Amino acid sequence: MNQPGYQPYFSVNLPGRQALSKVWRSLFLVTTAIAVVFLVILVGTLINQSVGYVAIETKTPIASLVSDGHSLEELDKAELVTLLQQNLTTGRYNTLNASEPMETRAKSDLVNLVYTEVLEPEVQETWLLTESIFHGNRIKAEAAELHPDALLQFKSWLNFNLLKTTQSSDPLASGIRTALLGSIWSILITILVAFPLGVGAALYLEEYARDTWVNRMIQTNINNLAGVPSIIYGMLGLAIFVRTLSVITSGAAFGLGSGGSENGRTLLSAGLTLALLVLPLIIINTQEAVKAVPDTLRQASYGLGATQWQTIWYHVLPNAMPGILTGTILAISRAIGETAPLVVVGAATYITFDPNNVFSRFTTLPIQIYQWSSRPQAVFQHIAAAAILVLLILLLSLNSFAIVLRNRYRK
Amino acid sequence: MDFSRNTFDNHLQKMADDTLLLASRVSEAVHNAIDALGSMDSIVAGQVIANDEEINARRYQIENDVIVLIATQQPVGRDVRFLAAILEIITELERIGDYAKGICKIQLLITREDCLRSVISDLKRMSVMGLSMLNDSLSAFINKDVAFARQIPDRDDAVDSLYNDIRSRLVSLMIKDMSYAQNVDYLIWVAHNLERLADRVSNICERIIYVYTGEMKELDGPRKYQPPEE
Amino acid sequence: MDSPNNSENAIEVSGLNIYYDKFRAVKNVSIAIKQKKVTAFIGPSGCGKSTMLRSLNRMNELIPSCHTEGKVDFLGQDIYAPNVDPVEVRKRIGMVFQKPNPFPKSIYENVAWSARINGFKPGLGRPSMDEWVEICLRKAALWDEVKDKLHQSGLSISGGQQQRLCIARTIAVQPQIILMDEPASALDPIATLKIEELMRELADEYTIIVVTHNMQQAARASDYTAFFTMDEDRSGILVEYDKTEKLYTNPSDSKTEAYISGRFG
Repeated sequence: MNQPGYQPYFSVNLPGRQALSKVWRSLFLVTTAIAVVFLVILVGTLINQSVGYVAIETKTPIASLVSDGHSLEELDKAELVTLLQQNLTTGRYNTLNASEPMETRAKSDLVNLVYTEVLEPEVQETWLLTESIFHGNRIKAEAAELHPDALLQFKSWLNFNLLKTTQSSDPLASGIRTALLGSIWSILITILVAFPLGVGAALYLEEYARDTWVNRMIQTNINNLAGVPSIIYGMLGLAIFVRTLSVITSGAAFGLGSGGSENGRTLLSAGLTLALLVLPLIIINTQEAVKAVPDTLRQASYGLGATQWQTIWYHVLPNAMPGILTGTILAISRAIGETAPLVVVGAATYITFDPNNVFSRFTTLPIQIYQWSSRPQAVFQHIAAAAILVLLILLLSLNSFAIVLRNRYRK
Repeated sequence: MDFSRNTFDNHLQKMADDTLLLASRVSEAVHNAIDALGSMDSIVAGQVIANDEEINARRYQIENDVIVLIATQQPVGRDVRFLAAILEIITELERIGDYAKGICKIQLLITREDCLRSVISDLKRMSVMGLSMLNDSLSAFINKDVAFARQIPDRDDAVDSLYNDIRSRLVSLMIKDMSYAQNVDYLIWVAHNLERLADRVSNICERIIYVYTGEMKELDGPRKYQPPEE
Repeated sequence: MDSPNNSENAIEVSGLNIYYDKFRAVKNVSIAIKQKKVTAFIGPSGCGKSTMLRSLNRMNELIPSCHTEGKVDFLGQDIYAPNVDPVEVRKRIGMVFQKPNPFPKSIYENVAWSARINGFKPGLGRPSMDEWVEICLRKAALWDEVKDKLHQSGLSISGGQQQRLCIARTIAVQPQIILMDEPASALDPIATLKIEELMRELADEYTIIVVTHNMQQAARASDYTAFFTMDEDRSGILVEYDKTEKLYTNPSDSKTEAYISGRFG
């Protein structure tokens, strides 16, 4: 090998290969960058729409109620009640008084009543966050010119009132309370049904089932079901839960049904339909997690005289749990965002009362958002954006919960 | 690491113990043989001859054990040198045992006691010197005392010169009176056996040095005395 | 072969055939394993020695395609009889595996769990769980190395220590026989020697059967050795079974001689 004067040439292809590797590297960097840009645009648009200047004009000018330079808050309770009596029709006043007597209402509540019932504020025009920041003066000038009586406010559509209030045709009084509760209820039902069923099925398929053609067929079907469009599940839910099982899902069998739920278009139907939707996902994820538990652990357990159930309960499940939980929560995240199957099952688009049991009629966040964003008034787009932010926050918290759980189990 | 090869170490220790036991039997046999010769006690001589069977049996047992150890324990380094040395040492010991047996056989053949009397005290001295060399070599083995083992073969010279002395005295006796010839021949064999005993102890010392240092060489250098070819 | 005295035998196998589907992996093996001795199964790869070992506590049944014919007598009962619960068999005939496989729990829990699922109850005249864990770890020559970190993960210690933990865990079940399937093949030489030394010590109390592809290990650590090889159908057959020192110095069968001297297999 060591011939005199022989120099091995090790770098024949080196410059070319290095150049090529640079090209690939930059290509992948660009794809990553594109993904990041889209994400930033999404979140940016949402925030842009949920915060900004609003021009609000009241039907009754505020100056006609209180003297110049003063606000409603400076009045005491008696004065506020008088204001209401003077400015409302007797019928309206009596209705309000009947739902809660004026004397027992808090002062802030009375201020709100005067505000919404007497002043009747109405949004005249809205601006985006970027406009509000960069063209504040132009907006002020425009507002002063076009809506001389309007009050120009810097408003965040994402606020506590949004979470607290129910839906309303008045955009300023509209909230997502019903939808949020509907989402949470239906997801709880989904988890309670789909998690034990899914984990059980996965354990059967992985640990108990022999390799027969029946089991192979079941397995193939589960894999295929995971890819079925969600609206198909909606049709299934409609056929089974709403139509066939309406006696149960409407609560009639238990005497618990409430107004409008007789036809089975209830939270229970929605939760069960979503459970059907995520069941294949949970089964597949759990199977993967169970498969990942090293066989040596099972062998060790059996070698010590443990039964199959002891082996599964003490070793397979705890070791698969991080994977199972991660998979389940990702499946749940998908269910939270589903609209189509719930529309088919019969989510109400306009509903103002809280669900009080699983047999209540319901709406969910995605449906509410869809409904708002299809309205012609621009102001509802802002509320929709704020609701989307709530949905995103909900999803992110679920995902972080998954990560926390996984890390805790890994220890 | 403290308990990794307990079993093997115990086996090695047992081999050393068995070798020492064999050595003590051999040394007892030599001692008894010279005693039997000195006192012309044919009964003791007969016992020594009979006991040689036991010595041989012990030697084969040790050899077998060592072979099993080599076959099953894969000794390396000092362990394998130790076991190889044991094989060599037990061979030497068994040969020394044979010398004792040879001396006893000669005792049964001695007919002229006056001839015996003239050299018996020197033969005893030779056996004492040889046995003390054997004894010391084994204590050097057990104590891993290489320096001591190196000194022992030097004492072979004294044994050799005593052998020369005995031999020349016996030869001159034979020249004076040829009727002693047979007995002189026997006694020269006894002296020769004792001289060889010391040589074998030197070999044992070489093995000891080999076990603890890995050196393998002849120790006593050029012999001062070369016995004439017979 | 020694003529076995029945009372000295821990387990007696007669006419054992093991199949994977149609393939016969072990053919017609009969062997009597001596009580409280270390017995080694050696032989070339694929000669069925591991399969043979796993049949002794019915671990083979975990492989769906495997089925067994013949008798395996343990405590005067055929463990393959229809009314025998394999779980009970495995409690009395424990198993240690090739790769150290402690549970991802603490060192203490590895031992305590094994004792607990097998019905260990501390109480009057019996050791407490803490004492029992210490006894088992001491028997496995591990106590001194882990006594200060009993609540660390069983996976945090070295491979050799993990394997001894697996042995301690098996002892905790109080078996009569411990099967070891190449227990040192994943370990370094010193850890290997420690495991071998441990097998020797455990043989005072338990019957040890060890499969090894390392014939030097069988020579060093066992009292009896069984040599398996494959016949022309690639089925495992028992060629020779004898005292280890006899088998390694003067084997009766030329195939054994060829294998132990590294000239075949």
